[in-house]
Amino acid sequence: MTLTRRVIVCLDVTGDRVVKGVRFANLEDVGDPVVLAARYEAEGADEIVFLDVSASIERRNTLLDCVRRTAEALFIPLTVGGGVRSVGDAAAALRAGADKIGVNSAAVARPALLTEMSRQFGAQCVVASIDAKRRASGWEVYVRGGSTPTGLDALAWARECSERGAGEILLTSIDRDGTRSGYDLELTDTIARAVSVPVIASGGAGSGADVRDALLRTAADAALVAGIVHDGSVTVNMIKMELQNANIATRAAA
Amino acid sequence: MRATIFDYGAGNLHSLAKALATDGVALRTETDPLGALDTDVLVLPGVGNFAVAAERLAGARDAMRDAILSGLPTLGVCLGMQLLFDESDEGPGRGLGVIPGRVTALDAARAPQIGWNSIEAMGDPLFETAPLTMAYYANGFACRPDDDDFVIAWSTHETDRFPAAVRCGQTLGVQFHPEKSSAAGVRFVRAFLQEATR
Repeated sequence: MTLTRRVIVCLDVTGDRVVKGVRFANLEDVGDPVVLAARYEAEGADEIVFLDVSASIERRNTLLDCVRRTAEALFIPLTVGGGVRSVGDAAAALRAGADKIGVNSAAVARPALLTEMSRQFGAQCVVASIDAKRRASGWEVYVRGGSTPTGLDALAWARECSERGAGEILLTSIDRDGTRSGYDLELTDTIARAVSVPVIASGGAGSGADVRDALLRTAADAALVAGIVHDGSVTVNMIKMELQNANIATRAAA
Repeated sequence: MRATIFDYGAGNLHSLAKALATDGVALRTETDPLGALDTDVLVLPGVGNFAVAAERLAGARDAMRDAILSGLPTLGVCLGMQLLFDESDEGPGRGLGVIPGRVTALDAARAPQIGWNSIEAMGDPLFETAPLTMAYYANGFACRPDDDDFVIAWSTHETDRFPAAVRCGQTLGVQFHPEKSSAAGVRFVRAFLQEATR
């Protein structure tokens, strides 16, 4: 009788293909988002995140048609991020079948966007996506696909996002992303303890044990995986079993 | 059978529409609240803000309330469930007042509640037909009926036990999102439709 911890599968999409990259670069084709999303739901994924990785870098709009086709096959929540710059963009993504909207660069550029989205759609719909990189002391927020430092302190920015109306924080460690060396537990726990909204740990999952550690050793509500499930080195079901063995409350695969 | 989703303009209706789309159901989405009442089953969807939705409802509030209390089978999902109540701390505006009580913030250190939580069903036939032991939630607020007899299922977030589902005759409110609760959730929606046609 408790809220379970979530395993969320991220589909990094460019064009109409899922890709994976190391440290936001060297993108490699992984498959069709529609097929993959349906497969992950069947394996027991709790949510899908659909991230248009081309949007920030190439300033493209979110590929709504691909969202529409992906959402068509899903009966679990779908978060869409990448290229969302306004309430209008968010509304269009919701219309296309997104349940939640991730905002990153646009929120840094204009933090009021978080409040506007929250008022219009409810806080539960607004996911503040934060890409953080370790510096001498603490972590710094980067934007535009991890390419541009902002000078913002990640902890202060996470608090501000929550205060401005974000209902959830998707926290990616740029240092760990794609490395499969485990989540940045210190970053994750620091942020998760500093805010009252749920935090999703992201970046660095190399195994089910890494996911287990992120949920066992930090206050994160959820952990995001991508590459390790796309290449079949582990399934969502196997990750869930790892969590259950560690007595972490989780939803069993259907 | 005609089923109508009242669209208050704030969110994703795709999944709900897909869950409702079954053989023998003529489904439409209606932005006019009075027009939405010309139906056999009314669905109040789940994404948005109470104040925004209450404002969209305002002109048709009494008509919708009367229709529901006269027996129009209605499914309220999340915010749609909250609209069945009198008022909400989320914002100003009147709910439908079908079930006496108000909507207040979840009493929890971590909110909104986002994720899958257990359902404690109290024996209502719908949960017998379509068992749902766990469902997806995305809510910062919960309904507090004056009378717990309306509650047919409970969930607990941290220490706050709140109604997962309420029933008033043929009308059902669910705080969770059945349309986001995978195969079991879709079966639940379809069981509601079946019940509504009887």
